Amino acid sequence: MNRFCFFFCAFLLSSQFLQAQPNGKIQKSLVRITATDVDPDYRAPWNSGAIQRGVGAGFVIDGNRIMTNAHVVSNSRYLTVEREGDPNKYQATVRFIAHDCDLAVLSVNAPNFFKDMAPLNFGAIPQLESTVSAYGYPIGGERMSVTTGIVSRIDFQLYTHSSIDSHLAIQISAQINPGNSGGPVMQNGRVVGVAFQGYSGDVAQGVAYMIPVPVIQRFLKDIVDGHYDKYVDLGLTYSKLQNPAQRRYLGLPDDGRGVLINTVITAGPAGKFVQSGDVLLAIDDHPISSDAFVEIDGDRVQMPEVVERKFKGDVVKLDLLRNKQPTTVKVALDTVWPYLLQGRGYDVRPRYVVYAGLLFQPLSLDMVEAYRPTDLRLRHFFDFFVTEQLYLEHPEVIVLTNILPDPINTYLSPFRYSIVDDINGKKIRTLSDLAKAFEEKPERFVVKMIGEGPPLVLDPKQVESARERIKTRYNVVSEQNLEEQPVAKPPSDQTQI
Amino acid sequence: MRKLVVITASLVLALVSVEAKRPPATPKPIANTQTVIKPKLALVRVNVTGQAYDYFRPWQKRAPFTKRALGAVLPRARVLVTADLVTNQNYVELERAETGEKTAANVTVVDYEANLALLEPVDKKFLDGLEALDLALDTVVGDRLSAWQLETTGALVVTEGLVTTIGMTRYPAEIGDFLTYRLSIPMQYRENSYTVPLVKKDKLAALLLRFDPRTQALDAIPAPIIAHFLKDADTQNYRGFPSAGVNFFPTRDPDLRKYAGQTGKPAGVYVTSVQPNMPAAKAGLKIGDIIVAIGKDGLDPMGNYVDPLYGKIEFTNLITAHAFVGDTLQFHIQREGKPLDLNVTLEHRASQDYVVPPYNVDRPPSYYVLGGFIFQELSRQYLREWGGNWQKDAPQRLVYLDRFQSELFPEANRHIVVLSQVLPANSTIGYDDLAYIVVQKVNGKDINSLGDLAEAVKHPIGGFVKIETQEDPKQLELDAAQVTAEAQALQQNYGLPSLQRLD
Repeated sequence: MNRFCFFFCAFLLSSQFLQAQPNGKIQKSLVRITATDVDPDYRAPWNSGAIQRGVGAGFVIDGNRIMTNAHVVSNSRYLTVEREGDPNKYQATVRFIAHDCDLAVLSVNAPNFFKDMAPLNFGAIPQLESTVSAYGYPIGGERMSVTTGIVSRIDFQLYTHSSIDSHLAIQISAQINPGNSGGPVMQNGRVVGVAFQGYSGDVAQGVAYMIPVPVIQRFLKDIVDGHYDKYVDLGLTYSKLQNPAQRRYLGLPDDGRGVLINTVITAGPAGKFVQSGDVLLAIDDHPISSDAFVEIDGDRVQMPEVVERKFKGDVVKLDLLRNKQPTTVKVALDTVWPYLLQGRGYDVRPRYVVYAGLLFQPLSLDMVEAYRPTDLRLRHFFDFFVTEQLYLEHPEVIVLTNILPDPINTYLSPFRYSIVDDINGKKIRTLSDLAKAFEEKPERFVVKMIGEGPPLVLDPKQVESARERIKTRYNVVSEQNLEEQPVAKPPSDQTQI
Repeated sequence: MRKLVVITASLVLALVSVEAKRPPATPKPIANTQTVIKPKLALVRVNVTGQAYDYFRPWQKRAPFTKRALGAVLPRARVLVTADLVTNQNYVELERAETGEKTAANVTVVDYEANLALLEPVDKKFLDGLEALDLALDTVVGDRLSAWQLETTGALVVTEGLVTTIGMTRYPAEIGDFLTYRLSIPMQYRENSYTVPLVKKDKLAALLLRFDPRTQALDAIPAPIIAHFLKDADTQNYRGFPSAGVNFFPTRDPDLRKYAGQTGKPAGVYVTSVQPNMPAAKAGLKIGDIIVAIGKDGLDPMGNYVDPLYGKIEFTNLITAHAFVGDTLQFHIQREGKPLDLNVTLEHRASQDYVVPPYNVDRPPSYYVLGGFIFQELSRQYLREWGGNWQKDAPQRLVYLDRFQSELFPEANRHIVVLSQVLPANSTIGYDDLAYIVVQKVNGKDINSLGDLAEAVKHPIGGFVKIETQEDPKQLELDAAQVTAEAQALQQNYGLPSLQRLD
C-alpha cells in the first residue's frame, strides 16, 4: 500500500498570465484547498489526535460547488479555499464526501466567491493514446502547473483511499506529483478525470491515475437526494466456468456462457436469493460470458460494471441456473457492511472501552495499521472476516489491544491481542455488549477469550478502586466511546447546492 | 508461490563450515582455545549424504546434499550424532580422523524430537582403538564444558565455554520442550562443525543443538536427555520421549487462582487444554484443574519444581527427562478447591497422530494425482517448503490450521487434504490457477485423509468426480472417464513415476 502516494500537498497558486491554453483559462475554475485535519490516534483513542495541515487542488462545477478528492478533505476540521487574483482565504464546508470513490464536494459560505468563477463541464472517457492535460500545484514552483500525457490504460483499479474499493480508473502518462490531488484532467475544454493516485518514482515512472467521468457522474447523481448512499454490491464471489466437465455437470451447453457462484455473503443483498453452486447466466438481461464479461452499449466490460453503475435500492435481475433449472431472482442492491472492517475509516472517532486499564477495540483496518499485531488468530479474523462469514458470530471482533499497566492488571499481559468471546457466560458480539457487561456488578468478571487459554478474571471492586488512579496516570480523558459519531455534523441546508 | 529451498539453520552452519578457510596445520591457541594435554580421542568424522523430498513435486527427491560432522564414540562401538544430521539420509560413512580410513555405517536409532541418532559401523572393528565416552550427568550452571572439534590434520581443537543457563527450550522438531544447556562459548567453525560434542572431564556432557556466532550463545542437548535416549535405545522397541498431552498456564494472577479455587499458598498451573485420547485425558484431567504437584515435587505458580541439580525448572522436565513411556506419574490437582490425585500413564505421541504432523522425515510424502490435480496431506514439512519464514510466507489459512489444530480438531482423528497444485491438462482446463485449497468432500464423502480421497474417487456420481473445497470455488468437477483415459498421457507428459503414493 505504501507504494502509492497521494498527490496531496501543493504550493501557492500565484496567478499570472499564462500561455495559450487549449482548455481555456483554467485559473478561472481552479482552487487551492488548505485542510487542517485531526487524524485519530487508535493507540490512544481517547485523545483527539494529531493535527496536520495539507494542501490540494479542486475545481468549480455547476451549482456553485467545488469538486476535489475525498482524501484532500478527510478528517478535516477547518477548510479554506483560495482562488486566483484574490488575496482572501474563504472558509469552505464539506457537503458530500465519498470515501469509497475518493471524491468530495465542497461549498463556500461567502456569497460572492463563485462570482467570476467558471464552472467546468465534464467530457466522456477519453480515447486510448489521446492527449490529456493535468492541472494542479505540484512540487517545483508556486504557480499552477500543467502537464500533458496520453491515456495509457482504462481498467479497474484499487482506490487506495479506502483500500478496499475498486472502480474504473484511467492511467495517464502525464507527470503528476504530490499537489495534483483533486485537480482536473482536461481534454478539449472538458474535465475527463480527477487526478488522485499514482506510484512513487522508485516503483514506476509515468504511472498516474485519474478518476474517470462515469465514477464522478455516479457520485454526483447519488447525492442529488441530499445524501451519499455509497457504492452498492451484490455480496457474492464467483469463478469462471471454462472447464467442459464442470459445465456438463452443471447442465450447461457449450456456449461459453455463465459464471459459477462460489460464496454468497449472508449479510449482503444476494444472501437470501442466490446460493453457492448457482450458475449466473445473465444480469439485467446482459448475457454473461464464461470469463465474466458482459456487453454494454457495444463495449465488452467486466460483469461488476453493471452493478457499479447502480444505486442503493436499485434492483438487478439475475438469471440463474440452479440444480439445472432456470430461475430468475431480483435483488435490491445495498452496501455489504462486513467489508467495511477491512477498509479505512474517515471522519469517525475510534470506538473503544477502557476497563481495569485494559483497552478493548473492535478489529478494523485502522486498528490493525496502528498496532501491526502479528497474532495469527487476529490476522485470520481480519483476513477471513467476510469470506468465512465470521461476522455472523462476531459482528464486531472485540480485541484487547493494549494494557495500561497497573497493579490490578499486572499479570494480564499474556492476554494482549486476544479476542473476547464471552463475559460471565454472556456472548460478546459488539463493543456495546462489552460495555454493558462491565456495567454490571457481579462478584467477579470471567472474560473468556477465543481459543484455548485461561479466562481473564477481574474483581470489580478492585477495578473500581483503581479506576481514578488509572485515568489520571494515563490521562484517559474518557473511558469509552461507543458511537462512531461523525465529528463533523452532516450539512443541514442544501440550498446552496 | 515459487518453490523455495528449505535451508535450516543447521544446514547453513554446515555450509559455512565447508566454506571456512582452513587454518594452518598447527593453529596458535587463542583465548579459550587450548590443546588439552593428551585428551582421549573419542571422535570420528561422519559424512552423510541425504536427499530431502520435494513437497511441491512429491514424487521426486531433491539433489543429494552432503553434510560433514563429528560423532561422539560411545561404548559398544556406537556413534552418537544429532538427528538433524541424518535426516533423509541415503548414505552414512564414518571416517577415522587420524588415518582417514572410512567405512559405511547404519543409523540404528533416531529420534527427531530429541534430535539424537545412533550410528553403527558396518565393520564392527572400525572403531577399535578409539576410546569411548561415558556420560557426565552432573553438569550445573557455572560448569565449564569443552567443545571438541577436529582440525583437518585430525588434531583436536578444544574450546571451553561456560554453562550460563539450564532450562527447557523448544527443539527443532517443535514438539514439546526439552532440557537444554545454554553456554557462552567463543567457538570457531571448523569443517565438521555440524555435530559438536561438549565434554566435561573426558565425559560427554552434551551435543551441540544450535549456535549463534554473533552472540556466541550455544544451546546443547544435555546428557540427561542423551541418557534417556540411550536407555530407551537399549530396549527392543524404541518408544520415544513421553508426553502427558496437557497445556497449562501460570497461576501468578491471584484472581485466576481464586477463580480456579486454588487454596493454600500460591502454587500450581492452570490446565488450559487436555488432548483427547492422551494420558492426561485418560486419567481424567480437565480444563480448569490446577496441577499443584507431580509425585513428590510441588509446582510453583510458574510451573517450576525444585530439581536437586538445577534448582527451579519447569515441571515438563519431570515428564520428558525423568520418565519413560509406560511410567505412571501421580498428578496432584485441585479441582474447584478440592484436592484430587490422578495417575497419568505416559505415552509417546507419534508425528502421524497429529492432524497436521509436525515432522515427516525419512519417509516419502504421500500424494494422489487425479487428472492433473495434485492432492497431499497438510504437514508442517509441507509448510516448511515456503522457507525459514514459512509462518508468514505460506498460505495463511494453512498456517492457521497447523497452529490451531488442537482447538479446531480436538479429536485429532483426521488429516487435512489439500489440493496442492494443478498440472495443466485437458481435464483441468479453467482450473490451472488453483493451489493450496482445502478439500472437504469428494463425491459427497467427507475427506479426512488421502486414503479417504483415493477411495471416494472410485465412486463417481453420474460420471463426474465432484470435489468440494473450503475456499472458493467451493466445487470442482472432473469427467471420471476422461481422467482415466488421460492418466497415462499425463503421467508421461510430466514424468511422474506414479500417479499416487499412499501410506
